[in-house]
Amino acid sequence: MSKPDPSPKPGLSLTSFFSADDILTHLEQLTRNDCIRRILTHLSDVHGFNDTDAYYDAILEREDATHTVVANGIAIPHARIMDLQRPYVGIATSEQGIPFAEDEPPVHLILLVLIPRDQPGLYLQILRALASILRDRTAAKAVSRLRTPDEVMRFFERGGMVLPDFVCAADIMEDTFISLRDNDNLKTCIDCFISQQINEIPVLDRDGDMVGVVRAGALLKVCLPEYLLWMSDLSPIVNFEPFTTVLRNEQHSCLSDILLQNFASVQMKAPAISVAGEMIRHNASRCYVLNGKKLIGVITLSRFLSKIFRE
Amino acid sequence: MYSEPVVTLPAPRILIKIGFMAAITALAGWGAHLIGLAPQPLAVVAVCTFVSVICTTLFFWTHRVAVAFLGVAVLIGSRAMTLHGMLRATELDIIFFLVGMMVIVGALKDLGFLTWIIQSILNRKRMTGTSFTVILCFLSALLSSVVDEVSSIVVVLALVFQVCDTLKIKPTPFVLIAVLCTNIGSAATMLGNPVGIFIGNKAGFNFSQFLAGASPIAFVSLCATLCVVLLWFRKPIHEMTEKMDEHRTAHHGLAPMIRIPYRRGLFVLLATVAIIAFHHQIENILGLTGTENKNAFLIITPLIIAGLLMIYRPQQARHYIEHDVEWWTLLFFMLLFSIAGSLEEQGITRNLALRLSEQVNGGPRAMTPLVLLISSLGSAFVDNIVFVAAFTPVIQTLVERSAEFSILWWALLFGACFGGNITAIGSTANIVALGLLEKRGHQHVAFFEWLKIGVLVGLITGLIAWGMLSVMTMPQPVRQPARESVVEGPLHEPHLSPVPTS
Repeated sequence: MSKPDPSPKPGLSLTSFFSADDILTHLEQLTRNDCIRRILTHLSDVHGFNDTDAYYDAILEREDATHTVVANGIAIPHARIMDLQRPYVGIATSEQGIPFAEDEPPVHLILLVLIPRDQPGLYLQILRALASILRDRTAAKAVSRLRTPDEVMRFFERGGMVLPDFVCAADIMEDTFISLRDNDNLKTCIDCFISQQINEIPVLDRDGDMVGVVRAGALLKVCLPEYLLWMSDLSPIVNFEPFTTVLRNEQHSCLSDILLQNFASVQMKAPAISVAGEMIRHNASRCYVLNGKKLIGVITLSRFLSKIFRE
Repeated sequence: MYSEPVVTLPAPRILIKIGFMAAITALAGWGAHLIGLAPQPLAVVAVCTFVSVICTTLFFWTHRVAVAFLGVAVLIGSRAMTLHGMLRATELDIIFFLVGMMVIVGALKDLGFLTWIIQSILNRKRMTGTSFTVILCFLSALLSSVVDEVSSIVVVLALVFQVCDTLKIKPTPFVLIAVLCTNIGSAATMLGNPVGIFIGNKAGFNFSQFLAGASPIAFVSLCATLCVVLLWFRKPIHEMTEKMDEHRTAHHGLAPMIRIPYRRGLFVLLATVAIIAFHHQIENILGLTGTENKNAFLIITPLIIAGLLMIYRPQQARHYIEHDVEWWTLLFFMLLFSIAGSLEEQGITRNLALRLSEQVNGGPRAMTPLVLLISSLGSAFVDNIVFVAAFTPVIQTLVERSAEFSILWWALLFGACFGGNITAIGSTANIVALGLLEKRGHQHVAFFEWLKIGVLVGLITGLIAWGMLSVMTMPQPVRQPARESVVEGPLHEPHLSPVPTS
């Protein structure tokens, strides 16, 4: 028997992944692990899972790596499961709240998501579908006050949460990042490379538009002009003589000397797959997410791999 | 190794260019048939193939090797050229010479000699815009006369970019100056331009004869060009002087102060030039005489030096061969020489030579300005080696009739080298320089910006060449090289010329 196509159809509603039978309300006085165990056991009773312990271990492993509290009061523990035929979503509410992470307040709404392993991006699509309640700070608390699973179900149905057709660049980007201004000098730039331990920094103009990137490698090229590199043996300059000029002038040299306009970038609504394309085309380990010309986020190669292969 | 940027054009523009190319090719074939240059259908095929390769260098520069491959296939497939004829016409002797020279240039870079030249200029005290321009002119010409023009322009532009980037001034005027002087200097010796070794070898000049004939004209032309550029670019030169003064006042140098060892590189270069300069005497000592050994030691000298250098630097030997030899360019030359050889094989060049001698009254002296003009204009729009490869058999035919016509070799040399200055696509050095300029600073030199100074310099140097060719007694070839078709050997078997069908 061939495996059914697990990829979600365009315009699929989030509520098509669960019913009122998959919802538990008012789970109080439980720890994180107990809560996860309760939801899984309940899903197993409803759908007949035969390896609940393995699923539990997978969810905890993911949770221990990075907690899944995605907004105030909402957690989405999840795992990618081998041989799962379709996604499953179990929901629990807690009016008093369950502590999920040390540095986060207790959560009131828990959506436990089990996804087929070979379906990259589905978790991110579910997150996107939940965007409206994630933005609403009172939503989790309000849902936790609902008394029955049917009421919770109606809440989700009213919300009209539809899975987007694809994961876009903005879904996987990091929206906090280091940047430099185009009028910064070389000293600031070198300090930034050293203190942040990164080798590429975006450069913005005063309007926040991205004008280029500076790379640590380009800085080395300024120190060692091409004509010096014609020699395979650089022993005549073992005392770093070329670097003295840069050191002497670093406060008076502007970034334009090492500014590169050739960098990987995508628009925020571009499919996430185009991030991979840009990175390959530019042989880059970072891709910048733009809204028009404005820089709104950064996707590193490791973040991309983590989002697509593991989350 | 220089890599060319690949330009992607929109489909309608590509179609227009292809249509234009097809029209020019068809017109050339039809015209050649009409005026009797290509009376046979196979001769028309040869003309069309050659013209299509010329058009490719003009319209689709990056596809020139691909089209040359197809061109050779068309010529052999249509029987317009035999396989033996193709192999004979590839001029492997010249290709080997160029391979050897490219390895030597790679070693000179690796040994630090070229870095030392740049560093020595950058570390000069009290330099002004004018003195920098004078140095730039003479360095470009000198370097391009002893190493190939592409290597020379890469080295000189490294100097220009270092100075202009440090002073934060626009490098374009100095890039133009460097290219103009590179093309002029490349005519001075057999080593400078592939055109030089090609003409020298075909004509039968030895190195010293070529030097004695070409260098005075190149030197006078260089001095005239220097005067022109000092006037033409006086504003950027003045700006450079001011920036240099400001830089000196702030105690900033133009580059890091580094002592680069240069003696090994200098020795290699001097040894190469010295051995090449005496190649004729060495050939006589070794008994390498006769047509089959024409310039034999000249050709093998770079191979000997390159071989020794690769033994001296075994860890770099593969790098020299794989990265410093411009295989792409050399392959194009081989294919181009083959395609031009088909014109000779089909008797088209002989017909053209007869027509020329019939039409132009006044003998070789009257033909000199004509050849200068044609080769200048031709080289301004297509790669000069393309033009020279096609025109060489014509002059060979004329020289066979009378040795006095050997002055036309010089006219062809100066027309091809100086004509390359006229447009931005006139020589490989121009294209490489523009590519480096665009790659580095995203700056572009407009076609007409180049054309204005290019035409002026091209005209002045062309007139100087004509004037000096008229008054100078130019060296005559040591011996008139016999036509290669009578030389027998594995690649020189007399091949069957196509039989006229009518």
